[in-house]
Amino acid sequence: MFFIPGPVIAALTFPGVIIHEAGHLFFCRLFKLQVFDVCFFRFGNPAGYVIHQQTEDFKAQFFVSMGPFFANTLLCVLFCTAAFLPVWELKVFDPLAYFFYWLGLSIGMHAFPSTTDLSHLWADAPRLAKKGNLLAIVSLPLAAVLVVLNYARVIWADLGYGIAVGVLGPIAIFRALAR
Amino acid sequence: MSEGTCSQCGQTFSVRSLFDLNGTTYCEPCVQKASREAKERGLLFSYMPLINKSICARCNTYIGSSANAVQIGNLRFCAACGPLIKDWDYPQWLKMSLAALLLLLVVALAHGRKYFHAGREMYIGERLAAKGRYSEALPHLQETLRIAPGSDKAVLLAAKAALLSGDVASAAKALQGHNGGYFEDASKPEFREVDSLWKRASGALEKAEQADKLEQQDGKEIEAARLMHEAATMYPELPALAFAAESFEEGVAFVRKDYDAFLAIAQKQWKEHAIAQTAAGLASALACKFAITGDSTYRQQSEEMLEKARQLAQGSAESMKVLDEFAERNRYRLESRQIISKAEYDRRFRSGKTASK
Repeated sequence: MFFIPGPVIAALTFPGVIIHEAGHLFFCRLFKLQVFDVCFFRFGNPAGYVIHQQTEDFKAQFFVSMGPFFANTLLCVLFCTAAFLPVWELKVFDPLAYFFYWLGLSIGMHAFPSTTDLSHLWADAPRLAKKGNLLAIVSLPLAAVLVVLNYARVIWADLGYGIAVGVLGPIAIFRALAR
Repeated sequence: MSEGTCSQCGQTFSVRSLFDLNGTTYCEPCVQKASREAKERGLLFSYMPLINKSICARCNTYIGSSANAVQIGNLRFCAACGPLIKDWDYPQWLKMSLAALLLLLVVALAHGRKYFHAGREMYIGERLAAKGRYSEALPHLQETLRIAPGSDKAVLLAAKAALLSGDVASAAKALQGHNGGYFEDASKPEFREVDSLWKRASGALEKAEQADKLEQQDGKEIEAARLMHEAATMYPELPALAFAAESFEEGVAFVRKDYDAFLAIAQKQWKEHAIAQTAAGLASALACKFAITGDSTYRQQSEEMLEKARQLAQGSAESMKVLDEFAERNRYRLESRQIISKAEYDRRFRSGKTASK
């Protein structure tokens, strides 16, 4: 396993960082949470952040934490789907397709919520899940997997996730369409 | 250092030592007492250091008891930060970037349209090939190759489908279109499978070519038929080889003077494939039967079949040329009732001309 400094990775995949933080901001505004500070991109750790008001509303908490995960994943699938065939299957040298694939992977790579985002969910989800809160029940296994994947970032789990989504997503779509 | 006064005991303290409870300033001992009393009365009893209320919660600017400060929940903000916190707007550059991103997505999907078509055709072809429906799969895979002739997967699938449906020319075209038939990874199972199919098909075609050359020589008809049968067995996906092998059996029957067998094969071939070549073959067999039996029905049928052959050969100058050559020999056979090979006919009547079928 080779080491590449975080800021270099962030710089190479900056669209994903910006979209991730924009997602946080969007859901904060949607749920009317006060936002104290926003950084869409910087050469540091973390590469971006949104400092916002804490809330007792689990739904708001869930979407503010997980919203960017879903948004980044969706955009990753869409961009990679547009570029998947020429890059992987058809082996056509099309620079535009490679650009779109880079964009898709960059976005997918920054889908994971941070451990701070997940810790809020993780703290409240078990209690609410016991009360039958559907969102809490769904978020428990999801958050558990994402916590593990977050720690696995040191072994490129984030890049692995981006590639998996950017390859398996389009394959699934095309196989379904070819039926 | 700023100072303040405890509303309860009236003493002056540093701001850092004072607390806020429900908007009232207390020193530490007094705030604890006031908090207990508030709790007993059912009022809000949580208190916080006054300093937290004296500085902007966002930018740490001292705001003291400024009237311009903005209170949001338990936090106070300076006049500059307050409105920002209340409604944190998207920066203009972000709005434009997101609009550009959506535009890029549209461009990406529009740009990928031709690849979607090629990919869809490839997946359909792959699925049909997996079901063994190779001839149905081939047009889909050829459509993919029109857009992406360099795709290893599509080329190998198309070549496989073509070879397994007996279309060697299409397989050759697909393979040649891929870097002149060069593949980087020759160890891939897909490549090895196509390579093996290609060798089998081309081996069979070589045998067929040898058989064809032998068949044109007098006395080599049996060997030619054997070779053609081997080719047909080697590459059964190409029915034309089996048909040719059967056709070569006509030559064997002719050499053995087994004209009943010759006629039976010729009739079968004509029934299966009504083309100029089989019509001429049947005309030849019927002429042999007339030569042997003298039964004019055979002669009449032979002439009719020759006429049918001419009709079927219309439009093909090459076929007409071959047919004209054959018609001359067939007429000789019908008129003389002598059965001789083409080589013998050429020797007798076409001296100086090259004997060829």
